[in-house]
Order: sequence, then structure tokens, then C-alpha cells
Amino acid sequence: MNSLFHSYASPYVPVRLLPPHQLRPHLSQVGKIRMESSSVKAQAATEVTEAPMNEGLKKGIAEFYDESSGVWESVWGDHMHHGFYESDTTASLSDHRTAQIRMIEEALSFAGVSDDPIKKPKTIVDVGCGIGGSSRYLAIKYGAQCQGITLSPVQAQRAQSLAAAEGLDDKVSFQVADALQQPFPDGQFDLVWSMESGEHMPNKAEFVSELARVAAPGATIIIVTWCHRNLSPSEDSLKPDEINLLNKICNAYYLPAWCSAADYVNIAKSLSLENIKTADWSENVAPFWPAVIRSAFTWQGFTSLLRSGWKTIKGALVMPLMIDGYKKNLIKFAIITCRKPE
Amino acid sequence: MRLLTHNMLSCNIKGVTNGFPLKLEADKWVTKEVDLNADFLRGVFPKIEWPALVAAARALDYGDLPEQADGSMLTSEDFLRRFHHALLELHVEEGALVCPETGRKFPISKGIPNMLLHEDEV
Repeated sequence: MNSLFHSYASPYVPVRLLPPHQLRPHLSQVGKIRMESSSVKAQAATEVTEAPMNEGLKKGIAEFYDESSGVWESVWGDHMHHGFYESDTTASLSDHRTAQIRMIEEALSFAGVSDDPIKKPKTIVDVGCGIGGSSRYLAIKYGAQCQGITLSPVQAQRAQSLAAAEGLDDKVSFQVADALQQPFPDGQFDLVWSMESGEHMPNKAEFVSELARVAAPGATIIIVTWCHRNLSPSEDSLKPDEINLLNKICNAYYLPAWCSAADYVNIAKSLSLENIKTADWSENVAPFWPAVIRSAFTWQGFTSLLRSGWKTIKGALVMPLMIDGYKKNLIKFAIITCRKPE
Repeated sequence: MRLLTHNMLSCNIKGVTNGFPLKLEADKWVTKEVDLNADFLRGVFPKIEWPALVAAARALDYGDLPEQADGSMLTSEDFLRRFHHALLELHVEEGALVCPETGRKFPISKGIPNMLLHEDEV
């Protein structure tokens, strides 16, 4: 039974997050978090033995997406990320695909990625590529070569099939690989793209460091991710009820501890990345989770869920908590972009 | 996995300094024809490690690439055709990529390489 469901202990019981100004570049906040649970032995705050925890996390992530990708795709299509909406709109289901594409375009625009034939990106890496929606979109948009990496073999396979079906077999390719150990030489890519995958990375500093490593000189790095709110200067950590909420979400979605957008900015600074920009897009994604919940209650959504498996159902049950988190201004949807120095 | 992809992959095991190029061991491969795009080929050529491409193509029994290549050859239709074929039309379905330094094999299954490291390799 254990082999079917990788037990994943949520990272927050109890938790003490370092305030941003204490964040050291070579050690992420997560490495300093003391975690206790019934299935994982307590680890001292100073002892950073992440390996057993991360193996469970990686397997959990792979299995979660192996199991649930099909359901998502059948209801939502090939983009597995939030849509971007004008503030205060209620969107209908047909608007959502447009919104998901708009999210990609808004991110590129925010980062200042050029359309110019000489300056546009020629090689792109899609870190946490899902079933390749972004990869295919970016490859077409820029006529570029795109590599996608995912922990899920099912997703990689599906991504490749979709690429072949769209005649993009020669432009995009997918590998099963770990974002924290990308199988590429240094400086390979003109555009490094992470669309809603940062949430899964157990070591944010290592994650951004790898993004920077595979970025070519002058390349643009784009991270779009869920974060928790920035801590105020007087705060040492999130409040207990906030931690409880995130705990439940982490457990269902195979997420390690969250950080804030400010933390990402600090990590980028510590890596001497340039032109660092960030924005809070929480208001622009607000219609998304209610729409996802509504879709789960359609006949197709519901039957797909029932057929999928426990991990997917658990993920679905936790969706109202995401809305709760956004409403409480605890959960933020952020973009962080920067450039690798020339 | 096409050889274009192979040309971009390297072994990332901790401590390995010479992880590129990965040696290609192919058990099953197919040819899938795709339209030749000269502009694309000319654009991607500077990023290609030519000896790695030649070696990988040989592993798939394709020996028609010149040992060395430079930009001036890109005007030759014959060269472009061979380059195109090796880079984009040969697909490895089953096999492995082997780290040149450690000998570690990364499996290729249904055309997808699995580059995940074991715990002790990180």
C-alpha cells in the first residue's frame, strides 16, 4: 500500500521561517525549517538532511501528476496554469483558455522579452513543463527550440505526443528530469521559463541558482509562482492559523514550504542577477479557482475525478482552501523576472 | 529523442566535470521524415557540438556526416540535407545515454530520456 501512495509529511508542523534579511544565499529557508511528523523523524534546525524528505516529495509530485494530468487536460486543455484576468471579472469557462494564453503573454511582456528577429530567444527551457502547453506556445511564438523538463513520465510522454500531433516534433522535446539538477550544460538557454512550478521546489535558492546556471549570458529568467505574503519587518514567521492553512494545501499538492516574493527577489540579488522585477498578480488570477471548482462539479469534471484516483480527489477537495488563502491575502500569485548578466 | 536533444543534454551527477557528450546506446530507433527548414538549420548550427552529433549519428548507423563542419557548408544543399536528417529525423525510442566520466546509464524509454539522479548522485 505504501508503494501506491507516497506518504508526504507537510513541512509546517511546527515551522519557523527566517525573515528575509536573514536569508543566506547558499541555504534556503526550507533547509532551516524544523519538521516533525509521525512518519518523519524530527530534524534539528541546524542539521540539513533533506535527502529522504525530498525523495518522498519528488516521487509524490511525479505520482500526483502521473495520476491527475489526464483529468486536468480533459477539462482544461493543455495549459496547467492560472489564467490572467482583468480585476473583478467573473469569467465563463470559454474565457479561461484565452486567459491562460494571456498569462503567458503578460509574463513575457512584463519581463520585456523581445519579438525582434535578432533579439528574440532561440533556445528555451520550460522548467516544470507539465504536458508542454507553454513549451509549444513559446516554440511557435518565437520559432525557437524548446526543451521541457518534468518529474512525471506520464506528462513527458503526453507532452511529446501533443507536440508530434501539432507538427512541433522538431521544435520541442521533453525529458524526465529534476529542476534542481537540470541535465543541461551551463549557459544553454536564451529564455528560462518557470510557470507555476516553483511551488514544488524544496530549496528555492538551489532552484533559482539552477535557473541562472542554465541561462545564457543576457538571457531572461521568468518565474511565475504561488507565494505567501511578504512578512512585515516585525514578523519572524507567518501566523499559526496561516501556517495551518498552508499545511493542508501542501499536503494535498505535494508542496514543500512556501516562501514570499520578497524571498525570491533576495535570492536573485544574492546570485547577482540583474534587472530584477516583481509584481503581485493575485487580483488578476482571482476568478481562476472558483472556475476550477465549478468545472469539478460539471458531469465531465466529476466523473473524471472519480475515475482518476485518490491523489487527484484530495487535490480537488483542497481547492476551497486556495480561495480562502487568496481571500486572506496569505496566498499571493507573483511574477519575478530577471536577467543573467552578459 | 532526436539528436538535437542529445546535443543539449549532459550528465549532472555531483562532482562530474566532464559530463558531455553522453554516449548514445540505441536499442531501437526510427526515422521520421520532417520538412527541411534551411533557416532553422542555419540558425541552430552555431549551437551544435559537431563531434557529438557525428558520434551520436554513427551510433544510429548514419555515417554520412562530415567529420568536421563549418558555417561555409551551410550553403550546400547536400550538407543541409545530411545535417537535417541526422539532427531531426532520427528518433531514438529505446536505449540509454551513458555518462562519459562515470559510465552511469540514463534510460531512454518510448523516446523520452530519464535524467533523474539517484539520492547518492546529488
